[in-house]
Amino acid sequence: MKKILTAKWFIVAATSLLLIAGVVLSLIPGSPLGFLKVPFAAIATPVQAFVKSAGDTLSDFWAALTDGMAIRQENEDLKDQIADLQYQLTQNEEAAIRYEELKEAFHIRDTFSNYDIYGASIISREADEWFSVITIAAGKTDGISVEDGESYPVVDVNMNLVGRVIEISDSNSKILPLVHEGFSVACKVNEVNGASMLVSGDASLKNSGLCIVTNIADKAVLEPGTEIVTSGDGGLFPEGIPVGTIVEVDSSNPLQVTATLQPYTDIKDLEDVFVMIPYVEEVAETDSTAGVTEEGS
Amino acid sequence: MSMSITIRKVILYTVYILLFASLQVSFPDAISFRGQIADLMFVFVVLTGYFFGFADGAIIGLLTGVVRDCFSSPAVVGLDGKVQVTVGIGALVLFLAGAFGSAFFTKKLHRSIPFAFLAVAAATLIYKVIGHAVSFFWIKVLGNGFYSIGIGEMILDSILPQLMLNIIATLPLLLLLRFLGPYKLGSVTDKKDDVIEAYGENSWFRI
Repeated sequence: MKKILTAKWFIVAATSLLLIAGVVLSLIPGSPLGFLKVPFAAIATPVQAFVKSAGDTLSDFWAALTDGMAIRQENEDLKDQIADLQYQLTQNEEAAIRYEELKEAFHIRDTFSNYDIYGASIISREADEWFSVITIAAGKTDGISVEDGESYPVVDVNMNLVGRVIEISDSNSKILPLVHEGFSVACKVNEVNGASMLVSGDASLKNSGLCIVTNIADKAVLEPGTEIVTSGDGGLFPEGIPVGTIVEVDSSNPLQVTATLQPYTDIKDLEDVFVMIPYVEEVAETDSTAGVTEEGS
Repeated sequence: MSMSITIRKVILYTVYILLFASLQVSFPDAISFRGQIADLMFVFVVLTGYFFGFADGAIIGLLTGVVRDCFSSPAVVGLDGKVQVTVGIGALVLFLAGAFGSAFFTKKLHRSIPFAFLAVAAATLIYKVIGHAVSFFWIKVLGNGFYSIGIGEMILDSILPQLMLNIIATLPLLLLLRFLGPYKLGSVTDKKDDVIEAYGENSWFRI
């Protein structure tokens, strides 16, 4: 018996079965197995942050050395630009005042005004084509929390869609990127009553940073360059978040037209992202307060 | 094994695990080609098994895999149809990679440096083929979805670039492991081969 227990084939088989059981258990909704990672993450995350910071510093130092002359010239150009921009700023301040007046007058609805925006830097990126979840430095301690089955949109600095939050721990969150094959979002052509469609990640397009477009409405006229935004259907993503542009349309099967989409955002170039969290609780609190007031009165 | 050797081993392995994992997930673009990323963690674990035997390969594989799961787990469609972050796939993959490395032609080739490249190439090939097979099975068969990668794309855009990157990454990692440690140069090879022979780990892929 002891011989079997210490045999390598037995150790490999037993450990593999145990790990497979763990993987399956982790797929059950509400599985507590995620907490097993916490002590390892507590050690590994600060080290990784240090390595990233050191790498960035080295990269910046090298860039400073090699780009010295270019930077000097750029500095001169920037000084000229600053002078121009200061003039424009004065002009724009007046325009902004006029915009606020007009916005109030015409009751223009700000599409994203019902969302809190949390900024966070990207901690770690994909490890290979299957280990592709991204980690950002914002979690429960920063005020972000997600109920089971909920999710939040994630956008870049230009409000272009990056992905969505799928897991939140105390200090960080996991993001499912737009190009991941498990990602899909209801979209439309960026025009009034634009034709609807579904944008999804695709296993074969992922490595090229592209998405696939399916379920395209019959009335849709797609061509390369057509701008696609979220439609707001499904409730998770608000309407109007820019997603990307069509690069290719495949009409070889008229019954199932598909297209390829180039997302606006390239995760490789991102350092910071923004999580959009709706004011659900605040609205609920306001409602309940209103109810009490009405009952009281 | 003396205390100083053990301490040196633990410290160096800890540094390697955290360093390679951090580099891979912090600067993937610096080590990528055609959408694939040089898998420093995977190469490190295979080489650890190849040079230092089953116990080192399996344990270091398991620990590196857990760190990999912490940083960048796979997300798959769960049993309720929703996309979920998994726990344990990284640990499973790298544990098996370490065990594979330890069983790859070890005694016959005396853990030679040239054949370390072959060990990494073989492990990478097996990982990618099984990875695609499992993805196909999970998406197409269990999830009734559409697995869109054809055989040609699989080879040209996934397997070959990954093979090339991992083989290139083998050189620096191999030099590091062989000449810096976890064991002092010359202190382990002979002793380890005795151990390997005693445990019967002296033939091609025999665990």
